[in-house]
Parts: sequence; C-alpha cells; structure tokens
Amino acid sequence: MDASNVELINELLDKDVEIREKIKDEVNEFDKKTRTLCGLLNKIHSTPSDQIPALLTTVHPVLDSCRDTSAAIAELIPPNQCWRWKDMWTNSLRNAVFAATMVHYLESGSLLTLARVGELLGIKEEWSDRFTLSAEDYLHGLINLVNELSRLAVNSVTLGNFEEPIKISTFVKDLFAGFAMLNLKNDALRRRYDSLKYDIKKIEEVVYDVSLRKLAPSAKASAAVHGASA
Amino acid sequence: MTALASRDAIHTVFGHFRDELDDHNDRRERLIKSSRDITNASKKVIFLLHRVMTEDASEADDRVLARRAAANAQDKLRDIQKMFAAIRDELAGDRFWRYQRNVSPGLQEYIEALSFAHYLERERMISYEEVQKTLCAQDGTPHFPLPVEDYLLGLSDLTGELMRFAISSISRRGGRSKASQVCTFVRACRVDFESWTPFFRDLRKKQAVTSQSLEKIEDVAYAIAVRSSEYDLPLELLDDIVERTVISSGYGIAHSEDRKRRRTDDLGGDDD
Repeated sequence: MDASNVELINELLDKDVEIREKIKDEVNEFDKKTRTLCGLLNKIHSTPSDQIPALLTTVHPVLDSCRDTSAAIAELIPPNQCWRWKDMWTNSLRNAVFAATMVHYLESGSLLTLARVGELLGIKEEWSDRFTLSAEDYLHGLINLVNELSRLAVNSVTLGNFEEPIKISTFVKDLFAGFAMLNLKNDALRRRYDSLKYDIKKIEEVVYDVSLRKLAPSAKASAAVHGASA
Repeated sequence: MTALASRDAIHTVFGHFRDELDDHNDRRERLIKSSRDITNASKKVIFLLHRVMTEDASEADDRVLARRAAANAQDKLRDIQKMFAAIRDELAGDRFWRYQRNVSPGLQEYIEALSFAHYLERERMISYEEVQKTLCAQDGTPHFPLPVEDYLLGLSDLTGELMRFAISSISRRGGRSKASQVCTFVRACRVDFESWTPFFRDLRKKQAVTSQSLEKIEDVAYAIAVRSSEYDLPLELLDDIVERTVISSGYGIAHSEDRKRRRTDDLGGDDD
C-alpha cells in the first residue's frame, strides 16, 4: 500500500479515536447523572405518597442538569454522524427518558410526550443529525417506566396507598394498547414489549387483591375492574 | 387530564411512532436487499476476473490477459456503481450512518471486486480516495462517506482472492513468478493491516484468514521448489508436476480440469 494512503487511513482513524475519547468522557458524565436519577427515583417505592412531591423536587435539578450533557455531546458529533456514535449514549439516554416520564407521571398521572422529553433534556431540533431522541429510545424508556410502575403498584399498597395501583393499571393499559399498535421487528424492543404482559399481570393481581378486599375507594375500583374486563 | 383524553393522546402519539418505525423498517429492508444485489453482482465480477485470467492458455503474456480482464470487469463495476447511485437518496444526510451496517456487506464485496480488478490492471493496491471516487455522482459529490472500516475489510478479502488467483495460475507458463509476486504483495498487505487490527474486531478475524491463505501459497511454492530441484527437467514436464501438486493440495481443481480438457481439445486438432 502506498505510504500516502497509509498515512491518510491513520489520520482518519486517529481523528475517530479522538472523537470517541471525548464522547466517552461526556457520556460518563451523562451516565453518572442518570444513575443518580434512578437512585433517587428508587426511593418512590419506600416514600409515602404525601412525601413524593418533596422527593421529586430533589430529582428536578439533576434532570435539568442533563441539558448540559446533551449540549456537550451534540457539540462533539460531526454533522450527520449521530447514528455512528449513538450506541455510546443510548443506555444513558433511555434511562433519562425513564426518569423524565416517571417524574411527569408521578406529578400529573399522564404520559410525557417524546417532544416534551426532548425539551426537558435540552435536545434541540437543529441537532437532529448529531444528537437526537429517537422513537426507539423513547419507547425503550417507556418500557423501563412500566417495569418500575409494576413495582410501584405493589409497594404503594404496602405503604397503604390503595388507590395508586388502580391509577397505574389504567395508565399502563393505555400504554400497552399504544405499543400494540406498532409493527415491531424481531429486535430488542419487541422482546421487551413481549415482557410487558408480565408487568401488566402483576399490576392486575394487585388491583384484584385491593378490590376484592374493598380496600380501594369503591367507585374507582369498580371503574378499574370494569376497564379490565372491557 | 381525564383518563379518556390521556388514552386518546397515547393513541395519537403511538400512531406517529408506528408510521416512523414502519418507514424505518421498510427502508432498512430495501437497503438490505440492495446490499445483497450488490454483493451478488460483485461476486460475479470476481469470478469473471478469475475466469479471464486463466481460461486462455494460448495467451502467454499475462499483462494482455490482465488488461483484458480489467476491461471486462470495468463495465460490470460501472453497473454496480449505478446500484450505489440508486440508493444514494435512501442514505442521504444522517441516514447513512443509521443504515451503514445494513449496506456494508455489499460495499465490502464491491471493494473486493474493485480492488482485484485494480490490482490486475496496475499491480498495486487501490487507495481509499480512489475507492471513494468510484462512489461519487457525476458532479463529484460522494454518494456517502466511505467508512474506513469497510475499505479495509474489503481489501482484507482481496488477499484471499489473490491467493486463489496465484495458485490457479501457478500451472501456467510464468505462473510461478506471478505467484511469488502475489505472495510478496500479500505479505506486505498483511504487515500494513496488522497495525489497524486494534481498531476493528472484524479485521483481526480477517487477518487470520489472510495468514492462512498466505501459508497455503507458501506451501505450494515450497513443494514446487523442492520438486523442481530434484529433477533437471524441461519446463513442459515441470508444468505437469506442478499441476499434480496443485491438484493434491486441493486448490484450483476446476482450473486444472479445465486445462486438461483444453489440452485434449488441442490434441483433437481444435486450433482455437
């Protein structure tokens, strides 16, 4: 091989290594933040519902700080190369989606849309070729959310909140109906989607136990049971 | 938000996701298909090159053969370049890196075929920039950026083809010097590539294959050297011995049979 060609290849490879190293540093930061987020959100399983808002106020600053990381990563990615490097931060990003949607669910009982999650994490529209929140990552984040909500259904009952499982049941069923609309390929998302039914089963059992013993406010419980049979 | 409103919102949102995912999956399928077509077409070019290089036993000058082979291949390679031009739009902007893994098998096979034709024509390795230049529109803009990985992996496969070429042409007149020339070239490739193995996992695997093919031809060259030193034979007879060596080593069988048949044809008075 010609020396000039060898030199060119080495140059291109060195450039890639440099970019990779820089991204890795930022992703480590991102990872630290999402770990903190997941750690904080793990406390919802042991926090009485009246103290949840206080807990969430500690989560917000960390979630907001993800904006800096998004900006730092977007800065490093050469134009059009988002998908080339994306594997490096996919995991952190999915965890961030989970944290954002979980906080929103606990605050309002509804689903935070992809666009709003993107806004919250400071992901700008004009970065779409460098750093973006794809539908796939968002959906993976939502599956994390359902996994955690099925735990929360159980643990909220232990903490004496009998209403929560019913709310969760309605919300998760709507989400599941949404997932059922998708034509999924035989990929990771498909496998995780298939596992959602176990979460739903767990939630249903909790709802059943609670309604059977008339622990939940009767109107809502009957509505949920009604919803389940529909 | 009431439960019903939330249900509707989720329904709408997932409707969008469905369209987006369908679009993505369909595009991926199309690209995988194109990549497969490109792989097939490239394989045919490689076979064509082997065929032209070995079929005409009457042509003594390899350079003539090599130029003929390369010229024949050029047309077919241009067809493949058109196939790349056809998927250009599917790979525009940030899409290329999203689907790079889906198109890379075809791309690598194309680079293998292209570099083989290039080697036969000029006896040197095609450069990164030369490959990229073949993947450009008329106005000189690249269809997509050529990944270094695909370039190197394509070239790594070339060594295997060169070995096959060297061994099957070894029984031709002048084939032995040709073989040793190829051998030197492949040894140099192996050294060049060694420094890049830490960057790509697949390259390490292919390096192992390159080493193996190198060893095969070294063994054949060894057998020839030993036997030709045993007897003081004229070239004609030596060629027969070589042919037997090639057959017993299990390479170039098709070609040797081809050659035998042609020789009978020659005896039968076929003055082709």
